[in-house]
Amino acid sequence: MGILQFLFWLLSAVALTGAIMVLASKNPVHSVLWLIVVFFAISGHYVLLNAQFLAVVNLIVYAGAIMVLFLFVIMLMNLNTVIETRKNLWMKAAGIISGGILFLIMISVVRSSADMVSRTAQLKEGSIGLIETLGKVLFTQYVVPFEISSVLFLSAMVGAVVIGKKD
Amino acid sequence: MNAIILSAIWGVVLMFCSVLIKNKGVYRHIAALGLLVILAGNIHETYHGSFFNIDTHEMLRFSRFGLFFNTILLAATLLYVLLSGRDVEKAGGYVAEYFTLIFFVLCGASILTSFNTLLMLFIGIEILSIPLYILTGSDKRNLRSNEAALKYFLMGAFSTGILLMGIALVYGGTGSFMLEVPRSAIMGGYKGVSFLEVTGLLFLLVAMSFKVSAAPFHFWTPDVYDGAPSVFTSFMATIVKAAAFAAFLKLFEARVGDTSAAVDWKLLLSIIIVSTLLIGNVTAVFQQSVKRMLAYSSIAQAGFMLFAVFSLNDVAKEGLLLYATAYSLATIGVFAVLIKMKDVTFEGFNGLARKNPVLAATTTICLLSLAGIPLTAGFFAKFSMLSAVIKTGTYTWLVVVAVLFAAVSAYYYFRVIQAMYFKEGDAQTEEVTGGFKVLLIAVAALVILFGVQPQALLNWFYF
Repeated sequence: MGILQFLFWLLSAVALTGAIMVLASKNPVHSVLWLIVVFFAISGHYVLLNAQFLAVVNLIVYAGAIMVLFLFVIMLMNLNTVIETRKNLWMKAAGIISGGILFLIMISVVRSSADMVSRTAQLKEGSIGLIETLGKVLFTQYVVPFEISSVLFLSAMVGAVVIGKKD
Repeated sequence: MNAIILSAIWGVVLMFCSVLIKNKGVYRHIAALGLLVILAGNIHETYHGSFFNIDTHEMLRFSRFGLFFNTILLAATLLYVLLSGRDVEKAGGYVAEYFTLIFFVLCGASILTSFNTLLMLFIGIEILSIPLYILTGSDKRNLRSNEAALKYFLMGAFSTGILLMGIALVYGGTGSFMLEVPRSAIMGGYKGVSFLEVTGLLFLLVAMSFKVSAAPFHFWTPDVYDGAPSVFTSFMATIVKAAAFAAFLKLFEARVGDTSAAVDWKLLLSIIIVSTLLIGNVTAVFQQSVKRMLAYSSIAQAGFMLFAVFSLNDVAKEGLLLYATAYSLATIGVFAVLIKMKDVTFEGFNGLARKNPVLAATTTICLLSLAGIPLTAGFFAKFSMLSAVIKTGTYTWLVVVAVLFAAVSAYYYFRVIQAMYFKEGDAQTEEVTGGFKVLLIAVAALVILFGVQPQALLNWFYF
């Protein structure tokens, strides 16, 4: 077993354990902390796939910004005490249906995976996730959506000022 | 390209105006001027090509249909600013910013009429939606406005999530973001229809139905349209909805054909259409407030516009152009009067005909058009939608259902007319200027013109 394979199994085990602990732990703060573990493990997977940019962005955005937001919300709303939420039947049914649909997609993917691996996986020579490649694609082929999304951010900024400023 | 770039630039111009010009009355004139400029730019592009020579790598494709749709949207916005621009000033303290956001919405709308990849569809939908969340909440002291904005934001964010999930699945199934992927180019020459692509398209159907407020994804519409300041409801219910429909049509036109072996899209869409017509029309009957009635009626009208997505033929495209024009004109007209009313319940309209005959007459014409009475634009709009369905040769029973529900819609539109003409009362309106009345008469005249001569509009499309 090579070092890459060993790392893959280790990271997978960490990610799965973390994900199960997110659901299993009663304290929401612990759930959030376990979620951070999951994100780190998945970033490790990205590095193994030679997708450095994705790995770094995943850490900064998810493990950094979004997790801090989660923690703030949980602490501000004082949810860190264990509250047994009331679950009604409708919610359970909706959860089962939406979970089942996702499961269906997963089965379909797994079924066609043997076929897909031969076509999509880039083994050993994959450089698609390097920052250099990404930058080139972003500023040549995808330059129009890149520039147009500035309008989106501008409108969000205007909105933040309009809503947030004191009259 | 002209409309996208110029409207983004004019949005920024208005942002600077809010710093440089302190007189609030000037902004709407600058906005109207900007709309004229963009309109001229767009018409120039339709016939002579764009001012800007940008290689979009096939991400945007400017068809005659899309450009003509832009013209309709821009003209409707111009009319809206001229009619209701003064009321935008009363909605809140950031007048120039509201106009800025309206221009950004137009930028998103013109992306939606020309997108050629799902990536641009996503950006277009977002540019269209985010300014609307803000405009909905612009009346900051009003709790209902706050509630509407939050509701709209949360539900909109959720539907964006579904949209993105759908795009990701379609990408997984076909290996491309492009709208039209040649079947031979799909990864590894996979022959059949991919499960992932079909699932993704179903997600896209849900997300787009949400954006055009089709049942059963309409729950946000009444609350948001009712809670938002009336002047922005008018904008949301017309220009934004029409742009979303243009995108809906474009998306399904490109994708449905390949996947129809796996999913019966016609059946799915007919279920959505019938439930939209049912919920929109029947609930509108029971409303006490005209504003809320118009919100439900806009759901019902969305049901009619969905016939274009259902039939996907040339008649449907023409029909959508006509429907977008007729519906936008009439709704902008009705809302312009509604904004001036002190009391927006049905009782508030009692006796308006005696007090202000011009307002009452123009409102009546607009309402008749919404109901689809002959000699108004709404009649030919509905007519061409139904003939598009008949042309597909299947599901002709939908036509019967649609006509029945159009008859139901006449009931609640006529209630307003009845209140204005046949009931005694003292309808209170704000001061209306002579220019406002002239514009209203112009709107009514256009509604009748397109009702007598729908070709007057469609000839431009083929010219």
